Amino acid sequence: MAITTFAAIDVGSYDLQLAIYQISQKNRIACLDHVRKTVAAGTDTYSEGKISYQMIDEMCGILRDFIGIIHEYQVKDYRAYATSALREAENSQLVLDQIRVRTGIQVRILSNSEQRFLCYKAIAIKENEFQKIIKKGTAIVDVGSGSTQLSLFDKDALVTTQYLQLGAVRIREILGHLDHDDYETRTLIQELVDNDIDTFRKMFLKDREIRNLIATGICALYLNRMKGMGNGAENNVENSADKVTAGEFMDFYSRIELMDYEQIALDMDIPVEHAYLMKPSAMIYKKMIEVTGAELLWIPGVNLCDGIVAEYGEEKRLIRFPHDFTEDILVAARNISKRYMGNKKHNQSLEKLVLNIFDSMKKYHGLGRRERLLLQLSAILHDCGKYISMRDPAESSYHIVMATEIIGISHREREIVAYIVKYNTGRYEYEKIMNEVRNQETSIIIAKLVAIMRVANAMDRSHKQKFDNVKITLKNQKLIITTDSAEDIALEQALFVKKADFFEEVYGIRPVLKRRKGV
Amino acid sequence: MTEGKIDFTNPEYYRNRELSWIAFNYRVLSEGRDKTIPLLERMKFLSITASNLDEFVMVRIASLKDMVHAGYTRPDIAGLTPEQQLTLISREVHQLTEDQYQTYNRSLLPSLKNQGISIITRHEDLTEEEGAIADKYFAESVYPVLTPMAVDSSRPFPLIRNKTLNIAALLQKKSGEKELDFATVQVPSVLPRVFEIKRDGEGVKLILLEEIIERNMDKLFLNYNIVCAHPYRVMRNADLTIDEEEAEDLLETIEKQLKQRQWGEVIKLEAEGEMDKRLLKYLKKEFAIHEEDVYLINGPLDLTFCMKISGLAGYDHLRYEKYIPKPVPAFENDDNIFDNIKKGDILMHHPYESFEPVVNFIRKAAKDPDVLAIKQTLYRVSGNSPIIASLAQAAENGKQVTVLVELKARFDEENNINWAKMLEKAGCHVIYGLLGLKTHCKITLIVRREEEGICRYVHLGTGNYNDSTAKQYTDLGMFTCRKTVGEDATAVFNMLSGYSEPLSWNRLSLAPIWLKKKFLKLIRREQENAKAGNEAYIKAKMNSLSDPVIIAALYEASAAGVKIDLVVRGICCLKTGIPGVSENITVRSIVGNFLEHSRIYWFCNGGHEEVYLASADWMPRNLDRRVEILFPVDDEDLKQRVMDILKLELEDNVKAHVLQPDGTYEKVDKRGKTLINSQEIFCQMAEDAVPEKEDVKKSRTFTPMSSEN
Repeated sequence: MAITTFAAIDVGSYDLQLAIYQISQKNRIACLDHVRKTVAAGTDTYSEGKISYQMIDEMCGILRDFIGIIHEYQVKDYRAYATSALREAENSQLVLDQIRVRTGIQVRILSNSEQRFLCYKAIAIKENEFQKIIKKGTAIVDVGSGSTQLSLFDKDALVTTQYLQLGAVRIREILGHLDHDDYETRTLIQELVDNDIDTFRKMFLKDREIRNLIATGICALYLNRMKGMGNGAENNVENSADKVTAGEFMDFYSRIELMDYEQIALDMDIPVEHAYLMKPSAMIYKKMIEVTGAELLWIPGVNLCDGIVAEYGEEKRLIRFPHDFTEDILVAARNISKRYMGNKKHNQSLEKLVLNIFDSMKKYHGLGRRERLLLQLSAILHDCGKYISMRDPAESSYHIVMATEIIGISHREREIVAYIVKYNTGRYEYEKIMNEVRNQETSIIIAKLVAIMRVANAMDRSHKQKFDNVKITLKNQKLIITTDSAEDIALEQALFVKKADFFEEVYGIRPVLKRRKGV
Repeated sequence: MTEGKIDFTNPEYYRNRELSWIAFNYRVLSEGRDKTIPLLERMKFLSITASNLDEFVMVRIASLKDMVHAGYTRPDIAGLTPEQQLTLISREVHQLTEDQYQTYNRSLLPSLKNQGISIITRHEDLTEEEGAIADKYFAESVYPVLTPMAVDSSRPFPLIRNKTLNIAALLQKKSGEKELDFATVQVPSVLPRVFEIKRDGEGVKLILLEEIIERNMDKLFLNYNIVCAHPYRVMRNADLTIDEEEAEDLLETIEKQLKQRQWGEVIKLEAEGEMDKRLLKYLKKEFAIHEEDVYLINGPLDLTFCMKISGLAGYDHLRYEKYIPKPVPAFENDDNIFDNIKKGDILMHHPYESFEPVVNFIRKAAKDPDVLAIKQTLYRVSGNSPIIASLAQAAENGKQVTVLVELKARFDEENNINWAKMLEKAGCHVIYGLLGLKTHCKITLIVRREEEGICRYVHLGTGNYNDSTAKQYTDLGMFTCRKTVGEDATAVFNMLSGYSEPLSWNRLSLAPIWLKKKFLKLIRREQENAKAGNEAYIKAKMNSLSDPVIIAALYEASAAGVKIDLVVRGICCLKTGIPGVSENITVRSIVGNFLEHSRIYWFCNGGHEEVYLASADWMPRNLDRRVEILFPVDDEDLKQRVMDILKLELEDNVKAHVLQPDGTYEKVDKRGKTLINSQEIFCQMAEDAVPEKEDVKKSRTFTPMSSEN
């Protein structure tokens, strides 16, 4: 049958969710079932730093029930991801182990950037007009329970994405002792929100023109419902979303501003426990509208599960996105490079070279598309450390990469990129790397990619792009790189030897640099 | 409105629900008195009034008594305190009882005799020969199961069980002591109440069991002379759980009281009218009962035995011809049930149309290899239900079976627990109801894996999944595989399994969270339309109407000019014909051979009619304390059919009683009108709708079947 059933589990900070999807040949994802149960693991993490045994117990019980539903639909495959409550919990590994032992479910903790990327994929697959919306300046405002992610788009591509530790549950936790919803509490929340978002404006927004906001997150789902969903519209994941004008949203905000939770619950017809999160969420959207001057607020009504299935479908080549996400990752990296005044020309040349070598060596490295992307990112980011120090730029580059969020790649992947830029020069320290990454597979990937980086980098040592047009062939255990550059390549050839040694060490193949005859 | 705003919640505009219920029982009684109805059917109606009244006493009166004891004085919808209500009810129930026995003694007994069925009312009237037969029966079958109990200084007054029939006697020691002893014996419920003494060409002679015992009392107390012996019966406030109809604050108050009470107090004493004064005084004292709760009965106690007589063998000409539900046309082909539903929504009108497709739906699903899951809510199920058997089989076949069993269904608790355990053993996931809520909705969901992906088949109904009551109750049910409804059905079961509410509903509205609001919205929309000068009406049918908020909304709508026509079988707290309040509202009640049970809600919506079916009445218990489902009929043809059904019921002039402004019900004036008996017409329609099958034997050509068949 050309139909795949898939289950996505979101071990969230506020609730556990399970969604069952059916992916059909016609590139369609349909949600068959979606259940939620409130277990606020986040309240443990945000206040105690770890998740209590009782909470684990409760979570396992619900996950076991989920398995029943998964069996019911005879689901082929599933993915279970956890977000900030587990990510930030000190005992997260223990929790994952308990879940695995007691329910058999393998839960993976998403890094923030991965999580946001999934959310962003969910929007792209659900929102038919996504491509059109992001042509104009657009910001995605994803208000989670523990944090908020602000992503800016301009001319089809992602410009920047920033993480604010400002989530609906977290705000409530911070102000936990203030039970009342009085003027004082409201002012406190307002100050918290204003402070963070104003910083974001100064640092990243500057004078960019933002016309649209895309609102996602816990409470956006209810906003979406308010906009007349549930009037018989068939609820496909890719169903087109709703929008409200900034004015309409402001009216809504001023209506709920003075209500208490009970009233909000009644007014919006939502459970009280969600009404509790409504105001802080709405406050963040409101503030974003104010600072960006956006005219439209899009509410696609997506959740993490929608993103999980989108990712799965894409990976298994069951669906195709209208939007190029790899390009977003690259653009984001180029923006980081630009921020740290990287050498654009050199980087472009390097990018081309590393990819060229990577592709020629396919048979020997056995790596895939994902590693190719990481190599490309490394090429883009390898020199950003120079912004900080000329003495040890590789070390500085490493720190910058480790500290900068790159949407769409996992923490481990970011780590790989950081090591590649770090060992682009200097002695390669096998043992140290192994000790640090604590994963053999990862350390081998690093070595393989570093070998390519080093060779390619040596070829543009002069930063004069002498090797822009090269032909690479593999013959008799030799990787022959031929350039048609008319310039002298003596410097490169001299430097090349040392780099070639490492390459040979890794692949057992000797790279050789040649100039085409007759030039 | 010149005198300002009308307060639509004014208690004067509402009728007390208990009094309205008694009026309903009168309507049933009037069927028992209707000479145009076959005699034994009339016996059945009389019996129904008796069992209805018993339930009413045990549940409603008991509840009110509890309120009085607890000092609860909040007035009801009509502004009456519990105490005031009890006074009014007592008066009405006495009158009703009198009317029941008048019907029995003056009308039914003589008519039965005319038809050759004689019921011996006094054992003294037996001939010697007949007496001998009765005595033989006593000696062989009755005596061994009797437990006579005498009361004296060493033996206290025994516990007399709720609803049982007993004979009390005063005894005098044969030794001649002056003092009289009290004794009592229960008329065994294991033996049939009616004993056939003789049947011959002239007819049949019947005698009631208590008469046979009374005749033989002396054999029970050998050392005594029987001074007098008379039957009596008590009703207790036995129900240790509180009726769900009451407010929650009341529950708390009473629960404390209940713990202090070992068994329910006696709230009603029925005794034979000619009972010896000394005996009656003794009983009253022992049961500590108030004068107004003593009912002296002019005839046999507990008229439910009339049901037995209505089924008397050999008298079919005194009954309606038994109606056999007709097949549902949409399934009268060789396609499988799922393919038939795929062709379009299917509506079924029970009992005119057979309930079999519903049973079949689950039976087929249990065996179908592509079915992944079956989920169903069960409220009252018949013993030996084929549905239960199929569910168990489905679980054994490896399907995910989720069943919500409502244990709180009144008087059915034990029955329900037994088969629920059986299902659990078979591997079904059984949910034993929800905390604090009764699950009253009737929904079945079947998840099936098909070529194009998962398909969900849903059955929604107004009546229980009970194949035997489906032959007696008029209900509507619908099959659909619409995606929107399927998604909602999944969400319903997720909620019943304890998950959070879905982010949105497509087509269904659920009580207790959304349904009331939905109804109010629909009513107010009509009101707005009426105010805007557009056509606006509401036509609805339900079992009872007692929700104060809904009624107030109806009054407001009526005042705005919305035309409201209601068919309410039972309780109706709404008053018609109040100037400025309810002049545009009519209420009629249909009491017929089948029990009216379907719930239909039809709104004009500015000409784009919306028609809904539901498991809920407009009662607080349905809207606030139960899980109920309202579902729309979206298919245009089916919608038309439901509207036609309701229209015809509103035109009924044979079985309909119309509510008058004074609170009484009167039958429609039929003069010069074609008689319309809606139930009979529906029977005819169902029969006409069955496609004629070709009679194979009559045909002179053979029809070869190809392999596709």
